[in-house]
Amino acid sequence: MADGGHTQQRNYPFTPSLNHPGIQSSDHPTQSPVGAVMVVGGGIAGIQASLDLAEAGFKVYLVETKSAIGGHMAQLDKTFPTNDCAMCTISPKLVEAGRHLNIEILVDTEVLDVKGQAGNFTATLKRKPRYVDLTKCVGCGDCEKVCPIILPDTFNEGLSKRRAVYRLYPQAIPTAYAIAKRGISPCRDACPVNTRAQGYVALVHEGRYADALRVIKEENPFPGICGRICNHRCETACNRGLVDEPIAIKDLKRFIVDQVYAQPRQPVEPVPRTRPERVAIIGAGPCGLTAAMDLVKQGYGVTVFEALPVAGGMLRVGVPEYRLPSWIVDREVQDIIDLGVELRLNTPITNLDDLFNQGFNAVLIAVGAHEGKKLRIPGVDLDGVMVNTIFLRDTRLGNPPDVRGRTVLVLGGGNVAMDVARTAVRLGAKKVKVACLETREKMPAHPWEIEEAEEEGVEIFPARSFTRILDDGNGRVAGVECVNVKFMEFDSEGRLNLETFEGSEHVIPCDVVVFSIGQAAGLAFIPPDTGVGTTRRGTVAVNPNTLAATRPGVFAAGDVATGTAFVIEAVAAGHRAAESIHLYLQGQPLERPPRALELPVVKLTRAEINQRIEKGEIKIQPRVKMAALDPHARVRTFDEVARGYTEEEAKAEAARCLACGICSECLSCYYVCGPKAIVHDQVERIEEVQVGAVILAPGYEVYRAELSEEFGFGRFPNVVTSLQFERLLSASGPTHGHVLRPSDDKPAKKIAFLQCIGSRDQKHDYCSAVCCMYAAKEAMIAKEHLPGTEIHIFMMDARAFSKGYEEYYRRAQDRYGVKYTRCRVSSLKENPTNRNLIVRYQTDDEGRKTNDSSSVLRPSSLVEEEFDLVVLSVGMEISQSVRELGAKLGVQLDDFGFCKTIPFRPLETSRPGIFAAGPFVEPKDIPESVVDASGAAAGAEALLAQVRGALARHKEYPPERDVRGEPPRVGVFVCHCGSNIGGYLDVPAVTEYAKTLPNVVYAENNLYTCSQDSIARITEKVKEHNLNRVVVASCTPRTHEPLFQDSIRMAGLNPYLFEMANIRNQCSWVHSHHREIATQKAKDLVRMSVARVSRLEPLYKVELPLERSALVIGGGLAGLTAALNLAQQGFPVHLIEQSARLGGGLAALSAYYAHTEEDWGAHLRDLIARVNAHPLIHVHRETRLVETSGFVGNFASRVRHASGQEQTIKHGVILIATGAQEWRGEMYGLGRDARVMTQSEFARLIADSGNRQSAMPNSVVFIQCVGPAEKYCGRLCCTESLENALRLKKLNPRAQVTILTKDIRTYGFRERVYNAARAAGVVIVRYDEARPPVVETSQPSAVGGRQSTLGVRVWEPVLREELVLQPDVIVVAAPLVPRADARELAGILKVPVDMDGWFLEAHVKLRPVDFATEGIFVAGAAHYPKFPREAVAQAQAAAARAATILAKDKLHAGGVVAQVDASKCTGCLTCVRICPYHVPRIDATKLAIGGIYGAAYIEAAACQGCGTCAAECPAKAIQLLHYRDDQVLAKVQALFTQPDLIPLAAVEVR
Amino acid sequence: MSNNGFEPQITAFGCIFCGYMAADTAGTLGWEYPANVKYVKLPCTGKMDVRYILAAFEQGADGVYVVACPIGNCHHVRGNERGKKRVERAKKILDEIGIGGERLEMFFMSGGQGKTFANAAEMMVERIKKLGPSPIKRKA
Repeated sequence: MADGGHTQQRNYPFTPSLNHPGIQSSDHPTQSPVGAVMVVGGGIAGIQASLDLAEAGFKVYLVETKSAIGGHMAQLDKTFPTNDCAMCTISPKLVEAGRHLNIEILVDTEVLDVKGQAGNFTATLKRKPRYVDLTKCVGCGDCEKVCPIILPDTFNEGLSKRRAVYRLYPQAIPTAYAIAKRGISPCRDACPVNTRAQGYVALVHEGRYADALRVIKEENPFPGICGRICNHRCETACNRGLVDEPIAIKDLKRFIVDQVYAQPRQPVEPVPRTRPERVAIIGAGPCGLTAAMDLVKQGYGVTVFEALPVAGGMLRVGVPEYRLPSWIVDREVQDIIDLGVELRLNTPITNLDDLFNQGFNAVLIAVGAHEGKKLRIPGVDLDGVMVNTIFLRDTRLGNPPDVRGRTVLVLGGGNVAMDVARTAVRLGAKKVKVACLETREKMPAHPWEIEEAEEEGVEIFPARSFTRILDDGNGRVAGVECVNVKFMEFDSEGRLNLETFEGSEHVIPCDVVVFSIGQAAGLAFIPPDTGVGTTRRGTVAVNPNTLAATRPGVFAAGDVATGTAFVIEAVAAGHRAAESIHLYLQGQPLERPPRALELPVVKLTRAEINQRIEKGEIKIQPRVKMAALDPHARVRTFDEVARGYTEEEAKAEAARCLACGICSECLSCYYVCGPKAIVHDQVERIEEVQVGAVILAPGYEVYRAELSEEFGFGRFPNVVTSLQFERLLSASGPTHGHVLRPSDDKPAKKIAFLQCIGSRDQKHDYCSAVCCMYAAKEAMIAKEHLPGTEIHIFMMDARAFSKGYEEYYRRAQDRYGVKYTRCRVSSLKENPTNRNLIVRYQTDDEGRKTNDSSSVLRPSSLVEEEFDLVVLSVGMEISQSVRELGAKLGVQLDDFGFCKTIPFRPLETSRPGIFAAGPFVEPKDIPESVVDASGAAAGAEALLAQVRGALARHKEYPPERDVRGEPPRVGVFVCHCGSNIGGYLDVPAVTEYAKTLPNVVYAENNLYTCSQDSIARITEKVKEHNLNRVVVASCTPRTHEPLFQDSIRMAGLNPYLFEMANIRNQCSWVHSHHREIATQKAKDLVRMSVARVSRLEPLYKVELPLERSALVIGGGLAGLTAALNLAQQGFPVHLIEQSARLGGGLAALSAYYAHTEEDWGAHLRDLIARVNAHPLIHVHRETRLVETSGFVGNFASRVRHASGQEQTIKHGVILIATGAQEWRGEMYGLGRDARVMTQSEFARLIADSGNRQSAMPNSVVFIQCVGPAEKYCGRLCCTESLENALRLKKLNPRAQVTILTKDIRTYGFRERVYNAARAAGVVIVRYDEARPPVVETSQPSAVGGRQSTLGVRVWEPVLREELVLQPDVIVVAAPLVPRADARELAGILKVPVDMDGWFLEAHVKLRPVDFATEGIFVAGAAHYPKFPREAVAQAQAAAARAATILAKDKLHAGGVVAQVDASKCTGCLTCVRICPYHVPRIDATKLAIGGIYGAAYIEAAACQGCGTCAAECPAKAIQLLHYRDDQVLAKVQALFTQPDLIPLAAVEVR
Repeated sequence: MSNNGFEPQITAFGCIFCGYMAADTAGTLGWEYPANVKYVKLPCTGKMDVRYILAAFEQGADGVYVVACPIGNCHHVRGNERGKKRVERAKKILDEIGIGGERLEMFFMSGGQGKTFANAAEMMVERIKKLGPSPIKRKA
């Protein structure tokens, strides 16, 4: 595989590709061309183009916007017309593309711009963040299992759910996961420490409380505290507020803590000290402790000095117990201390300098604001006047002020005032009052605090200013004199402007006054000479960005730096201070740009919310209220007021979350990921690549069916799109292949398909070309899944236009009983009782005006029928982003966004060097997209032929060690695959068991055997233990075998000395509930693999010379095109043509195309001239192929000239382009009456008329589906007839034209011809197959010169009557048929033809121009009737496929191939007969059994390794290498035999 | 023989294309099936040799089955059809020698049909449980 890229010196001259149409001399690259190609689009077309290019020696960048390649094909269940499993056929291609050394897959990537010119482009790419490191992710899926975010699964078209971390589909390449993010959720954005609120809310919903706590603690060490007293601006920002009420985020946080703290506390492991520096922190409040934690985690020595006897600061001594129990504070403080922080309580710092003297390298001042303030009014020194901080602190420290029986008046309206008041209530005060400056509405305390205080009996006196405190005469407080406030406001400097009502003086009586008007820091320990500046507001002066104080090494944070704030701000400040201190200690600059979050904050719009409500995704549901202690109970106790959620309440509340950011960043994936592949802070990157050419294969998007509102898609659950239906049919889809109705999951037993949804309608003038066939396919498969299902397809025409399609369409009707009705259904209704859909349709054929003589239309009978499910067969459109891409790249698109290509060069865009393929060019199905892809690759290859191989890499391996003769030394590597294997079976036990097996000299287990380090480890271990065989017990060889083989090759072992035991897909995953049994089976599988690997032998590929030239058979359009392309690529070509002239069938049709937009005749003449002129093309006219021998790369063909002269040509590949011929038969008077003619004759008649109207017929009847086209579709005939009709109408507008047909099959853009013909008045009459038209001719009568008559009688099924037409001319749409000598040629080349005589490709879908026999290709009408554009594309495709062989230096033959032991061969010919590839032959020179000459010989280079011959050989003379009988049987025997019973030699080869 | 506690040993031969992929898909989708089945891969069921089937029974298999691509979708054109003929031949031999052809089966499935693979495994295990241990083992 990897050998493809490199090329060495060529023996023959390169043709400069200047004459290639892609490069005009004017834009010949000034820079040298680049040997790389960018392929845009990772669908099947993009993959095929990439593989062809890479195999032909070019470096490929395969760009895909999604997270994996595979495109739409990967979504399909089966493919028509063979009903192959789509995944089975595409999966090997995915793997091959993923492993190819010269294909760089760039997923999550968009093309922004392409600059430069053909040969040398610079492409600018946007690499979107995937949040998963592609080089590290092993695809184990452990992340997916823990992701709490559930989303509609786009791959399943929304019919199932997936997680935010996801793999597009199980077989996706790259296998790595990806994370879907929309942005930062507003809750996270609003939080000063960016707590991942959406994350823990999501985890609450999943009931994972420990995980939830873990994610909170990522940013906030005080979840229990913040869950109670945070001011939760996250809730203010919450988008849910736009729906009903914000999520109760704070309450959910508290709930999490309640759950986890109810469990025994897990000891915290101390962090090892790794750095010499020491940091002193003054103050053990939330800020100081946060900083201490961060710094200890960095490895610093940290000492926290606290003046009080307890740590926790205000949280511990300020906030009352009933709001925040002490034990919570203590526990969370302890979690920090236990990390290794030294805490010194009761240690006030008196002078900052002391700390530096003690050797601390940095100091953080975080003393908070613990000094209460009093107003300077008379009476403040009276007995009974207190301040808030002391009042609360004394209470918390167990020494409460005695207010029992007293009346307490709290002065102040903030939260602390409420705390004081409510504490006083609990301390037994008789009456508690609060008076404040502000009005009730403007009180700074949280409204709920005020409400709860009032519930507890606190009386509020708002809008009061205090003038003095009254003395009771004994030096004690008697009351406070107040005046009423008229107006108050603090200015920007914090000064108060106050107006009071004159004469409003009054007294509020009380015994105790508590000032609660603010707190300040105590800064006495900072003498002025320490160099630490302070502010007028009594805070330490700091740089707000770095929190550095004015003295180097001193930092201040929290209330002491900013004034009083909330706990979460203290935490934020602590983090910031720690970061600054770390930078300071590391000698780095402290100032850094503010860290911006890379993603936008998700602000949901009202419109989006309404839309989600409408869809039922969001239901109005106010928040769940948390229970509170009854006011009567709580006034007597300091028990917590808020009681917390029950689990049920919490989950219900969490379920309200709108998951704004999609990924909640809960980090569950990050923690669980073994290879550490999750990178949540990945950012978008812009990159550039240099390429010589670009291939655009961005594919299509299905029509958004919701736009056709009349069908109710999106409103009626049981209306699905055909792509959704495809997923329903898929065994690996959301319903595991059962067609269940979305509304009730019941089997759909009666299904209607509506065709042409988003095709052939008012808005789409084209046919999507695939819908008719996929509907037939989906119908048949649905019936196979559930026999008895009734299926009714409503369509206009059955567009079964390609090879095998007609037969397939008939099979749907005849064998499967699928009912077809020709009717365009206009709308759907839903039966509300059962959600069935009601289809109203005409029972008979669509009413249609036929001709003037029968203008009476029979009233059609309308019926209504109910269906369980309706499938909308949606058509193809070009997405907005692809249209934008086209505009950016400057390639011309049509109004629908399809790429305009150059006439005659159907795969080239308007911009030279940029090619296009697939549905981007025109709606088309898989094989045609694959043809386009290869053809576009051929275009790029011709353009860049000079630099083929310039950028191709090829891997170097160390020389192989000869292990023959050595006893087996087997190494076994057993994979845990994270939890995928290790979670379900005992991996170490399997490893230990492996060690006991014969020949095993080494065994180990790995967490991920496929991770980069483990791969390197295998290489090492092979060398270290001198292993000569390796078994990896892990996942599936289908994806991983090449990787492991590579690792042993790197150690000098032959890659065939390797075996995998699939203990994941075929063991742990399917026996996940039986650990013992799964472990035992894993042992069995390892034993079997060890037994087999012990018998495996190195296989060597031999290098064979390669004849790097092509034989092209047929000199028509396809043959000429292919020959020219190959020559432009630098490969000599022998073109043989039977006749004396080049041009083939198209030459005869040049009249047909003359004077049209696409004058193919002219193109053909040009092509012939260029072929004749090309030095590498040797044209052999009047020459036939007589005999071909040899095999891929080494063919020898004997050709014979008309003169009888023979010549033998050596060549490496063969292209069959022999074309087809127009059918000649006797039907409808053809050949008997000159007025009855074929299409080409009619075209000539028109062409020869010299545009004289008088020379034109005035009425023409075209008869379609003639002769063999009754059986298969002639593909071209409908379009040709319509085009001919239009030509006639143009020259003779009066002419009456009637087309008699079964269907009009103008697929793709040909629909426009149909539309134009109808607009021009061409009449289409549909006839029944059972009643074909009848033509009556009579010769001109001699008597009376009467006109001869020409009549056509045809039964019109709608009108139910026979029409009689009398045209001047009848055109019989004679189809193309295989050439008479096609079978003979097929015989010579030993390639198959189908039942009708068309050459049969290797695989209808994915190998459309290959034969099963390697090195032989087909193009053009030899394959099936083709329009010229199609023939050109196919010819180029065949050339590209041929180039994958010719581009190589040598042929590598061998490996898993069959070998004949001539001494056992009886020459019985069995192998010769049964080989599907016609490889074995009898070699007369070889001695067979009994010394008779003539033994079978199998050419290794041609053998495909299926082993059929080996199994079939009666004499057992054939063995398939790597699957020799003893190697297979060793495995069988090992299954049943315990190791001690298997001596190696006991496995007998019979 | 009752199926009391009898756990049959079953060998599944299959190709590395659809058969193997179906087994993998069963795993991917978590379709559980009895662990009695062990898969032996072949390049194609065209390589399915009557002798492999007989050897499996001889070594102690109670049942054998073969998993191939659907007819018409063989990756080696028609290897599965060849294989099918040989399985039919082997069934006759098993009948003749008293082991019983019903202990051998062949299934055709595409790679996406994980559930079908699991069903086939289950079906074979059930069938063989009913039939009891292979007569070869009973003699031994």
